[in-house]
Amino acid sequence: MTRTLGRSARRAAVPLTAALAVVSLAGCASGAESAATPGADVAQDIVFALKEDVVCLDPQQTSVTTSLNVGRQLTDSLLDQDPDTGEIVPWLAESWDVADDLTSYSFTLQDGVTFSDGTPLTSEVVAANFDAIIEMGAAASLANGYLAGYAGTEVTSDSEFTVLFAEPNVQFLQGATTMSLGLLSAETVAGAAEDRCQSLVGTGPFVLESYVPNDAVTIVKRDGYDWASELRGHQGEAYLDTVTFPIIAEASVRTGGLQSGEYDVIQDVPYIDEARFAGDDYILYAKANPGVPNSFVVNTTKGVLGDEAVRQAISKSLDRDEINVITGSVSGKAPAGVLTSSTPGYLDLGDTLAFDPEGAADLLEGAGWTLGSDGIYEKDGQKLTVTVTAFYAQDVLEAAQIQLKNAGIDLQIKMVAAGDFFGAVASGDYELLGAGLTRTDPDALRTLLSVDSAARWGIVDDPELEALLQEQAQTADVAERQKLVDQIQEIVGERAYVMPTLETVQLHGSRAGVEGITFDSAARVHLYDAMVTSD
Amino acid sequence: MSTQRVDPARTRSTLMSVARFLLPKIAQCIFVVWATYTVAFLLIHALPGDPVLAALSLKGGDATSTDPAQLEALRARYGMSGPLWEQYISNFLALFRGDLGTSIATGQPVTDMVGRAFPLTAAVAVFALVVGFVSALAFTVWAYVARPAWVRNVVTQIPPLGIAIPAFLSGIVLISVFAFGLGWFPASGTNGFVSVVLPGITLALPTGAIFFQVFSAAVFDAGASPFVFTANAKGLAQRTVVVRHVLRNALLPSITIIGLQIGYLAGGTAVVETVFSRDGIGRLTVDAVLARDVNVVMGVVIVVATVYAVVTLIVDALYGVIDPRTRTRLTGRKAVSA
Repeated sequence: MTRTLGRSARRAAVPLTAALAVVSLAGCASGAESAATPGADVAQDIVFALKEDVVCLDPQQTSVTTSLNVGRQLTDSLLDQDPDTGEIVPWLAESWDVADDLTSYSFTLQDGVTFSDGTPLTSEVVAANFDAIIEMGAAASLANGYLAGYAGTEVTSDSEFTVLFAEPNVQFLQGATTMSLGLLSAETVAGAAEDRCQSLVGTGPFVLESYVPNDAVTIVKRDGYDWASELRGHQGEAYLDTVTFPIIAEASVRTGGLQSGEYDVIQDVPYIDEARFAGDDYILYAKANPGVPNSFVVNTTKGVLGDEAVRQAISKSLDRDEINVITGSVSGKAPAGVLTSSTPGYLDLGDTLAFDPEGAADLLEGAGWTLGSDGIYEKDGQKLTVTVTAFYAQDVLEAAQIQLKNAGIDLQIKMVAAGDFFGAVASGDYELLGAGLTRTDPDALRTLLSVDSAARWGIVDDPELEALLQEQAQTADVAERQKLVDQIQEIVGERAYVMPTLETVQLHGSRAGVEGITFDSAARVHLYDAMVTSD
Repeated sequence: MSTQRVDPARTRSTLMSVARFLLPKIAQCIFVVWATYTVAFLLIHALPGDPVLAALSLKGGDATSTDPAQLEALRARYGMSGPLWEQYISNFLALFRGDLGTSIATGQPVTDMVGRAFPLTAAVAVFALVVGFVSALAFTVWAYVARPAWVRNVVTQIPPLGIAIPAFLSGIVLISVFAFGLGWFPASGTNGFVSVVLPGITLALPTGAIFFQVFSAAVFDAGASPFVFTANAKGLAQRTVVVRHVLRNALLPSITIIGLQIGYLAGGTAVVETVFSRDGIGRLTVDAVLARDVNVVMGVVIVVATVYAVVTLIVDALYGVIDPRTRTRLTGRKAVSA
């Protein structure tokens, strides 16, 4: 049911995006099997400018988009997920079986899959991969999250194995489609975590040729690759022979280089440059990050945020459409739920999250706040001031700050380095956090809000919500789980534990002669179907 | 043909006085490195926040773990556990083995990272130094010989622009024109000499401007001095006067400034390396600071301080060779009179 909602929401975005020649956001159902063919007599080599150093290539360790955009080409996963429907389909595993209590997952591997060093993919190697992830601990935190409660992998035969968990793990199946659980060769996983960051061997359609930190990554086509998932546009080897990823930190250099032809594809087109590349000479690729959109995540134990009326008033005072226009991508849209519209299981909470300044004023006045002479509400001599701690997207916070000021709420912005952000999370020393959480499953809300979660950002004392978060994580039945997930989204939105501000869109651009770039369910790039059609 | 007889006593005394001149300077050089290391160490560790968490977030993004037990394990692994003085002493002693520790963010030995980046930065810095020096010299001569006075005034106003325009802006302009527009040079990367040109010119602008200030002041000073007046009065050609009398006297202060310039270039490449997406010391530093990668920051500080101290030492020594007056102090009056 929610699936339908999600799809209709996406359909609503079609006219807007089509006008801008934006592929993919609309799902682009036929896009993957486009009529395009690689140009004859054109070198199938592209230059894809990245916005930052990949730092670590190992997709099991890193969870930074830039690194994963490279890592995805080198590694395959057990399963794949349709980004439009959320449906899970076979990839390296041809079949799988989930125990009703979500504590064991059995897989059967496809025949004939090999790593680029020639060794075969076996159950033993898969087990070694998962064991190594547990071993790496905090160095591989996202992958560890997907393996929460891991109790070992039971190898039945060369191609059959069962992954066991001590407690129900609802996100594992979906996790198995991400490259965080992508599979690496036995030799790679036996190596030290640091070495794996520099060099790795996977089963992917491309092979790492070189990585020079702060300079460039080069990958080449894997000869004999023949195990693409059914979601890809073709089978067999990749079209491209080589992809060079120079690391171009300066955005204006990336956009200038795309215009001058120095780069064929660039990562992260700044939203303000979107119009520049809207013509026929370029293709823009946009995809909203799945998971929790960029939001205010509350700590109800601090300041005035324990008061539900205050939280709701803040949420109602945010004009999300305006924030999107000011700071967002033309291809994106304002968040209308506590999950992004690209997340499977998304529920539209448009009414709850509607801009409603009168409603906000009523709530505050009802709770005993009075408007002070400086235009800020106060109660018992206390100003209605909240502080948000964040390490990116300052423009979003500033837009929200102006809107809240108009509503009589004083928002203080505290921009910190990433490390200090997580330092604040670790110590619980914050009122609001301003950030988003990229995950491809509604379980993202449990990660964010549950008392038990290792990556807990929101501090709320709500037994009803907690019970629901736990229950959905142990429910195997899809329809049953969806009901729980819907309830969770309603509660989180209505009680304003998470106040979405902006759906972050991954926006990439290419010249018109390069086609076929697609996104996986986590909004990371697939270059397997990419090709050069003309110079 | 007659080989000059070397007086062993005099050689020894010359060596002695050279040693007397140099040893304190070498000691000073080592002190500078040690003091820099200590101050940097204290400053970095006085900053709030957890370096391990910061470096971890570089890789972990929104999934960064804040589990205290796991953080403690990583801290031990990167030599950051235990009391501060223990870290200070063990890390300092490791320096003498050429060991700068391990980067928390990348897990690579810092020595390798600095070793990789250093030649790339040095290439740009040397290019900038040469271009800046030569163009400052050219502008100085031009300004000196330019007539009438208003032309001279205009000429002297041009070089300061080099320091007034931020390197960020001049870098972007150079990229737009010469990389994207004309396609003569690459906009990014570290492949060969062509990739050095644009970032080198960007850095040569402020470098040249500083050289020019020092040169022109010295040249105009010399130009107004009695010996130039005499030379002119003797009817020597303008070129001879400029080259033989004016420039030679202006060179000395510029040697001093080279030391400062190298210090500036060693640290000042961050902006240029970011704009031109070049790997190098500056970029390494920016990344390390953002990631609170303290081991890398310390490594860079040590290397830059050493370069600076060694250059200063060489400049001091050169001073003695070039300027006879300081040579007197260097080798004693006897050596000069001999």
